[in-house]
Amino acid sequence: MRWSSAWRTSNPMSINSAGFLLFLALAAGVCYLLPKKHRWLVLLAASAFFYLTFSVRAAVYLLVTVAVTFAAAHGMEAIRLRERAELEQHREEKAEIRKRGKRRRRLVLGGALTVNFATLALFKYLDSWLGTASRLLGLFGVARTFQPLGLLLPLGISFYIFQTSGYLIDVYRGRVKPEKNFLRYALFACWFPQMIQGPINRFDRLQPQLLRGNDPDPAGIRAALQLMIWGMLKKAFIADPLAGAVAELFDNFARYQGASLLLGSALYCVQLYADFSGGTDLVRGASALFGVEMAENFNRPYFARSMDEFWRRWHMSLGEWMKDYLFYPLALSGPMNRLGKRLRARFGPRAGKLAAPCLSTVVVFLMVGLWQGPGLSNIAYGLWNGGLMSLAMIFAPVFARVNGRLGLDEKNLPFRVFQSLRTCALVVIGRYFSRADSLMQALRMLKRTVFHFGWGALGADTFLSFGLSGSDWLRLGVAGGVLLGVELALERGVPLRERLDRRPWGVQFLVLFAAVLLLVAFVYLNTDYTAITYVYENV
Amino acid sequence: MEEILNILQENCPGIDFEGQERLIDDGILDSLNIVMLVGELNEAFDISIGAEDLVPENFNSLQAIHALVQRLADE
Repeated sequence: MRWSSAWRTSNPMSINSAGFLLFLALAAGVCYLLPKKHRWLVLLAASAFFYLTFSVRAAVYLLVTVAVTFAAAHGMEAIRLRERAELEQHREEKAEIRKRGKRRRRLVLGGALTVNFATLALFKYLDSWLGTASRLLGLFGVARTFQPLGLLLPLGISFYIFQTSGYLIDVYRGRVKPEKNFLRYALFACWFPQMIQGPINRFDRLQPQLLRGNDPDPAGIRAALQLMIWGMLKKAFIADPLAGAVAELFDNFARYQGASLLLGSALYCVQLYADFSGGTDLVRGASALFGVEMAENFNRPYFARSMDEFWRRWHMSLGEWMKDYLFYPLALSGPMNRLGKRLRARFGPRAGKLAAPCLSTVVVFLMVGLWQGPGLSNIAYGLWNGGLMSLAMIFAPVFARVNGRLGLDEKNLPFRVFQSLRTCALVVIGRYFSRADSLMQALRMLKRTVFHFGWGALGADTFLSFGLSGSDWLRLGVAGGVLLGVELALERGVPLRERLDRRPWGVQFLVLFAAVLLLVAFVYLNTDYTAITYVYENV
Repeated sequence: MEEILNILQENCPGIDFEGQERLIDDGILDSLNIVMLVGELNEAFDISIGAEDLVPENFNSLQAIHALVQRLADE
């Protein structure tokens, strides 16, 4: 019997591999066999083993981040304790002591965050920026080139840097007490299901679950398995089959008419959602096998009726992180406050009120773009999203007036559908920037879409011209239809999983068995199937 | 309390602040509302609400916002 590449990925611990599933079963088994108080050690050992199978060197970098953030959190706590002692002795100098304490804690926080983000920049951005610098110097006639360092991106660096930075800021703000035990803290930072593609977890929600020594819960394990299988189905039947077609359309865009390119970007939206949400389902399910519920990342984003709502439903753990640790501090900062006052005096109260949220939104999405990659196209992607959301804030009264005159409100179903479709269209345009290899490519593709749309290109032949056969389309149509149906039902509040759980166990077993059979037959035993790396596995 | 209520109603018309206990948890106030409100509250009461104060417990109800303003005014 020949097995497909899904079993034979280059790394035995790739999360859609058989090795990973076996590792999960073993780790869960050992964990639940041990006494409650030692179970967290199994989780830590499993996390260390998982990470070390990817790269020992990357594990050293991870350890440095864990050590620096652990020490910094304790440094801030020590300053806070000293501040309290001083306050008790010198009550008359309350304001001065608090100010001094805050300044010292801020210094420690700033230092640790600088180390954290400098590490991220070193691995993720430096080579790209060196290349850009060389090209810019070349433009001015300076023949100076910077050699790229060629460092390999450590697995999950974007996620663990953000997660540990969030922890530090929470400690600084006094929202959480720092973890005293280094190994327990290391478990929070390195919990293996979050290391591939997040979600970015919060200390106060994750840490107690990791340490409490969960007992095996049959209902929880059943739900975890359902979630994992659902995630694998989305990846195998929607994301992976689309990946080749999307790559063909983007890589060879000059061969295609604008209509095909627009279709390519729309297909990329579907691929990315099935890939990222499928992967998230898989890792959230894997974590839930140990009784640990990780943060949500998706809430049916393509039903959003505005870009603002879309970003509250898409990659939610990153959005929450950006809101709490970047948007609020920026929008409430002294310079923003002063800018608001100046604009209020000059252009009226509304301009004053909107200045801080609009500017902060643009900065936040610039960071979201850069989080995805160092290129100018990533910056353009951030500006597209931030710009649209700022414009929506500025023109909100105009939209409200127009909608009022037309008698359109939220109870109007066709209007709601229109709003969702409009949001999807804006997301599709934005994806030109996030999928293209360069800003120039994205702009050329957009130009082609607008000026060489080619309605004739929408014929059946075109759909078969970029690597998808008729049977591929049929399978994609069925899988996409099932996904849409499930999402529609959930959006309307139909509790699908609870309904399945209420069915006789024979029916539940059959459904689960059918799903596993599909995966085995069409994916794991299908030698034509090629497993594709998760899109956000290497960010 | 009344002044705070006026600021809230002026900035976020259509919300029954007196009857709400889960303004943040239920998504009734979003981040844009919060930033605008904080600006107004800072100005009106000469206080400085920082990012560390922006937790649901401080903004879930009129009473919670009042308590936050009182605390910061006392400091």
